[in-house]
Amino acid sequence: MTVGAATILRQRYLHVAWLALHLLLIISFSCRETLRVVAEGPTILPFWFRNFSQKAQTVFSVALGQKLPASNPVREALNTYVNVAGIETGYGYFAPNVPSGYKLVFELHHPDGRVEYELPSVSSAAAGLRTASLLDSIGRTPYDALREILVKTLAQSVWREHPDLESLRAILGSIRLPTAREFKEGKRESYEFLYAYDFSLTNQPAKPHDR
Amino acid sequence: METFRKRLLEFLIPPETDHWLAILRVGLGLGVTIYSLSLRNDWAYLLSGTVRKVAEALLSLESHFVPRLGWFVASAAQLGIHEEAVLFLAWACLLAVGCGLVVGVASRFSAIAAWFLHLCAAKSGGFVSYGMDNFLTIGLFYLMLSPLPDRYSLDWRLRKSQPKNPQLLGFWRRVLQLHLSVIYFFSGLTKCLGPGWWNGSSVWRALIRPPFNIVDPEILVRWKYLFPVAGIFICLLEITYPFFIWNSNTRKIWLICICAMHVGIGVTMGMYLFALIMIVLNVAAFGPGCFAQRTKRSVYNRRELLPDVMSS
Repeated sequence: MTVGAATILRQRYLHVAWLALHLLLIISFSCRETLRVVAEGPTILPFWFRNFSQKAQTVFSVALGQKLPASNPVREALNTYVNVAGIETGYGYFAPNVPSGYKLVFELHHPDGRVEYELPSVSSAAAGLRTASLLDSIGRTPYDALREILVKTLAQSVWREHPDLESLRAILGSIRLPTAREFKEGKRESYEFLYAYDFSLTNQPAKPHDR
Repeated sequence: METFRKRLLEFLIPPETDHWLAILRVGLGLGVTIYSLSLRNDWAYLLSGTVRKVAEALLSLESHFVPRLGWFVASAAQLGIHEEAVLFLAWACLLAVGCGLVVGVASRFSAIAAWFLHLCAAKSGGFVSYGMDNFLTIGLFYLMLSPLPDRYSLDWRLRKSQPKNPQLLGFWRRVLQLHLSVIYFFSGLTKCLGPGWWNGSSVWRALIRPPFNIVDPEILVRWKYLFPVAGIFICLLEITYPFFIWNSNTRKIWLICICAMHVGIGVTMGMYLFALIMIVLNVAAFGPGCFAQRTKRSVYNRRELLPDVMSS
């Protein structure tokens, strides 16, 4: 074998080795994500499988270095690679079930006592899809502080458009979608109150109201 | 063992034309261009201020080295340049490299820049990202690593520049094919686990859930008996994708069905860009050679590409 042929062959083996590692990561992250949704349920699988999924998900997380300290170089290198390659998540979109969405309504209180209602608005349908993602993040996060920061950011943009406001209340609710049968019987989408935040011009933190 | 190794190499690094790469380049270039144009008025709103900072702080818990817009904003702030100016510049650059990819000008540079800038936007806008961003990152990652330029690009036609490693065209197509197979398998598997995909309620919910409620529910409800069929069809189509897309007898029908499914998602749920990216990835991966009989002339001559390997 000539030197050129050996180089090409070595290059081929390197590529194949990279592909094996790359696919292993893709499959591992996909498995972990699938096990996570099974553990969270509900699925068609028996209940005991949820416990198994929870344990198996932990095994995958450990194997993928996700249980290492955040500053660990191996974890950081792996996370960097999977993020830049776009393989850090699973592919269970709208699965196993289609989740309910969230709605955020701003109650604008004017100095003259008028009350108006406004929704977060963007200028294109493409940006609308992204706002829906943001509302999903706000609705699903278990961290109150994070939820308040995100709601406050949206409230600030409303306030910029209405600088004369006395106070502003942000009301977050989850959307309850009717089934096809319920819809035929006249039932329409309804909202379940989750949280409300009051903002005023003073530099006080927002007053949250839980459901 | 030697035979297995040889067959594995032949499967993973087959001789290949650059037709698929041209489809991927033009398609993803179009995707990046439409992505930029569709967000032109809301770019700063979605990616500036606290939402970006919080998303980047959470990203730092995973890794400090994942590209983000905050790097540029912080650097520019030291020069007295405002955040909005930096974001506008990033948007303009993304639009320019998207157009560059479509026509094939500075293909390699455009692909790397498009991947980098889109990744920055997707990661900094972590709260406002959705599945499309993930697939665009995947597509651009493979595109920038593939042997560019392809023969349909202006780089090839005007500057006569050619790829350095054309023998790897088949390898990168294989990577994309394998990745898509994993994507659809897990997507189908996860759907199959949900009762809603078997009784059709998930299809109904997906179509009436804001902001995907493009079609009037009054019209949809008349077709409610089709929802279980549609749900089961989607589950089976996706989970069987890796088995039937590789078979030359069934490839055409699976490719048409999966593209039709994405067209359906685009039209009925308003996810046009998501549909475009998925169709581009599928057509680039499995399209060339699927509809037309490949000729000997259109395939790179293996002997010409790898003379030493073949002769040894």
